[in-house]
Amino acid sequence: MSQKNKGQSPRLDRLTDMLVEDILASSDADLLAEAAADKDDGATQARRAFERASRTVGFRRIARNQRHPPGRRQGPANIRALDPKTARGWLDAYLASNPETAGQLSRAVRRGSKLSDEDVYGMLEALQLRGVLTEKPIEQSRR
Amino acid sequence: MQPRHAGASLLTQVEVKRSISLLTAADWLRLHKVARAFCRDAAFEADDLLQEAFQRALDGTRHCTRTLDIVHFLAGVMRSIASDWRKARKRRPEMNLVTQTGALREVVLQVRDNSPVAEEVLAVNEEAGRLQAAIFALFVDDALAQRLLEGIMDGLAGAQLRSLTGLSETEFASKRRLIRRRVDKAYPKDWTP
Repeated sequence: MSQKNKGQSPRLDRLTDMLVEDILASSDADLLAEAAADKDDGATQARRAFERASRTVGFRRIARNQRHPPGRRQGPANIRALDPKTARGWLDAYLASNPETAGQLSRAVRRGSKLSDEDVYGMLEALQLRGVLTEKPIEQSRR
Repeated sequence: MQPRHAGASLLTQVEVKRSISLLTAADWLRLHKVARAFCRDAAFEADDLLQEAFQRALDGTRHCTRTLDIVHFLAGVMRSIASDWRKARKRRPEMNLVTQTGALREVVLQVRDNSPVAEEVLAVNEEAGRLQAAIFALFVDDALAQRLLEGIMDGLAGAQLRSLTGLSETEFASKRRLIRRRVDKAYPKDWTP
């Protein structure tokens, strides 16, 4: 894939959004006709991606159940199950109670607002692995 | 296995899996086309993006409301993942293995400074400008399509965009389709012709 265009402009982002909008609005018949004309096997590839995803999720579930049998599960909270706002709240709470850690982070990170959701989840998971994150009941905080 | 809070408004994980399993051939195709569109400007593959979106839907990381069409939901998940992956890639330093010709044991690990220098910013802007010009050139025979394209890139939408071109809803949809088809044919995988 091209590495040259990784700083794509907002104008091209808008074009991409319009293309997606059109794909979503197209009729089934039109899309199938296009696929036939283009010899596009995207449908098969999408189905395969779904099968791979199903297997991966299944394996992860089995592995989790082996580590923590259902009913006796006391493992760490699933950080990814937090909604983004709650996740930022957890990170803010950690940084507020650990000023020495916060001091080592850049100003943007300390403010928290410029971090992507992915960054916030990643940092919380790292803190969780180190065993320093204070977790709250996850049932109240799911997305 | 089901989140306790799911309640009536959200699909359970089992329901999400069932809804996806029951998609029609056109819907599978639609999802793959959406994934390809989001991957044009990225160093990842459409299949990987799609698989990640399915995984997040199946494992309950992302929730679908009952009122939302599952294909639209998955398209939204893909958009969000693609955006996160792109941002993460921009922040993460790239590491290249550099070898001297014919001397494989001499390997130097170079960590690239992540902050773009002025020349890089300029190069990226020039590249984006060239790409936009190339896209407009696809419609050199269709001034209306070019005007529509300009409006889309300027951020116009809906009635505002239609009034720019004076097209009815049906004509607008048809012109938008033409733009998508030509762009798809010229750039089937990424923004490289």
